[in-house]
Amino acid sequence: MSKKSTRASKPKAEPDAEGSAKMSKASALKKVLFMSQELLPKDADDGHLRLERFFHPGHGKEALFMTHPDGRIMELVEYTEPRRSWLVNSEVCSNGRIYMTAAVDSTLLALHHLRKHCAQRAMSLDNIAVEEASTSRLLNEILDPENLKCVVDVKSSGEQKFYKYNQERTLAWLALKTRQVAKILKEKQVHCGHSAQSQNFVRSEKLAAENVSNEMDYTRMACDIVGRYLDADLHDLLTSYLHIPSEIQAIVEEKAAAQKRKSKAGKDEGSDSKKIKLNDSDAASKLKSSGLVDSDGDPNASITSPTAAPLKERSLTAKEKALAKGAKGTKSIASFFKVK
Amino acid sequence: MSITLDFNGKNIAKSNELELHFLPAKIDGDGEANVDHYFNNYTREATEFGRGILTNALRGYPLMGEKLKVPEGYSGLVLQETEKPISNSSDRQLRLTGVFKDFTYWNYDKVPSNGDPYRQALFLADVAQALSQPISEDDLEAEIVRNKENNKESP
Repeated sequence: MSKKSTRASKPKAEPDAEGSAKMSKASALKKVLFMSQELLPKDADDGHLRLERFFHPGHGKEALFMTHPDGRIMELVEYTEPRRSWLVNSEVCSNGRIYMTAAVDSTLLALHHLRKHCAQRAMSLDNIAVEEASTSRLLNEILDPENLKCVVDVKSSGEQKFYKYNQERTLAWLALKTRQVAKILKEKQVHCGHSAQSQNFVRSEKLAAENVSNEMDYTRMACDIVGRYLDADLHDLLTSYLHIPSEIQAIVEEKAAAQKRKSKAGKDEGSDSKKIKLNDSDAASKLKSSGLVDSDGDPNASITSPTAAPLKERSLTAKEKALAKGAKGTKSIASFFKVK
Repeated sequence: MSITLDFNGKNIAKSNELELHFLPAKIDGDGEANVDHYFNNYTREATEFGRGILTNALRGYPLMGEKLKVPEGYSGLVLQETEKPISNSSDRQLRLTGVFKDFTYWNYDKVPSNGDPYRQALFLADVAQALSQPISEDDLEAEIVRNKENNKESP
C-alpha cells in the first residue's frame, strides 16, 4: 500500500518541483562559450561585446549574433547533444551546450533585405526598412557597403549611394562562395554524399582518405551549407545555377551506373574477366601433372572446361506449364479478330 | 533587445582559470557539488586505450575521456547571468565567471575519437571561415563571364 502511494504521488509532485527548479535555474544558468580570439576585447577597450538579434534568412526568423563595437559581426551557434552537462570547478551546470562564435559574412544577411526591397528600384541603405530597428542597424552600422558590390549595382549621385539587387552577380558570387566551402570540405576530408559513412564505421583514417567522394557530392554539400544562409527560393536558384542534380536523382543514376557495370562485366566475360578458359586436353594434363587433382581416383575422368551451354529456350515454370495445358485445344485468341 | 557581455580585456586577463568537465549525462540541477571528492579523485589514466585517455565513472556508468584544448583561435569563457530579466524585451547582461584553455571531454563507455559529434561539429568553424572569406571583384567578373559562356554552349 505504501509503495503504491509513493508511486502514485511521485509523478504529481514532480512537475511542481521541476517548475520551481527551473525558475531558480534560469537566473544562475552558466553558459560555456568558445569565443573567437579575433573578437575578444583588447585590454583597454571600453566598448562591450553585445549579442543582438538579426533576421537570419536560413532560419526564417531572428537569431543571435555577436557584435563588436567596431561593427564586426559573428554568428552565435550552439552545439547541443541530447544528454550533456558541465562541471565547472565544483559546480554542476545543467546547460550542456557549447556556444560558439562562427564567422559570418554580413552580406549574406543583408541579401534577404536587398532582395525584398531593392529588386525593383535602387534604394539607399538608410531608406530600407526604417521601421525595423535591427534591420536598419545591420544595413547601416554593420554592413560594409564595399562588399555589397558583389550582389548589387551601385548608383551614386553626389554623396548618396543607391543600391539595386542584381541576381546575376549574386548567383555568381554565391557560386564562388560554394566553391570555397567545397574546397575546405575536401581539405578536411569531411564525408559527403548520400553514401557517406559515419566515421564510427570507417576502419581507419587511411581508408577514409581512399574513400573518394566525388566532386558533385562536395559541391552539393557546400551548396547546402551556403543555402543555410539563404532564402529558400534563392537556394533553389543557386542549386540550378551550379547544375546540381537532386540527391534522389543522383542515387538513381548511381544505381543505374552500377547495374550497367554489372551487366557489362557479365557480357564480355571472355575478354576482360579473370576467369581463365581451360582447354580440354592440355589444361587437364597440366592440372594432373601439377598434382592439384588426384588423378589416381578415377583415371578416366577427364576434366572438361565449363563450356558455355548453347542457349536453350527458357524452361517453362510450373505455372506456365499449367496454363499451356489448360489452353490446349482452345482457339487462338487471334482467331476472334479475323475478318469473317 | 540585446544582451551585453559585461567584460573587457582586463577582466579576461584577471579572471580565474576554471576546470571543466563535459559530461555525457543530463543532470537536472545546478549548484554546488563535491566534484573533487567524488569525481576528480577517481580520474585514472588508462594507457591501454591510448595516450591521454582517462577513465572515471558517474553513478557507476563508465566514462572515458581525454583532455581537450579549446579549438585553435578560440578562447573558452564561462558566462553567467546575474540578474533575471524582468521581461523578454529588456536588456540583459552576461558576466564573466572565468576562462579556460582546456577541458575534459567525457564519453559514455567509448574512447573519444574523431567520430564523436563534438569533434565533427568543430568542422563548422572552418567551414564558416571559408564561407565568410570575401570574394574579390575580379574573381566575380570572371565567374560571370564563365557562366555566360557555359550557358551559350549548353542553352
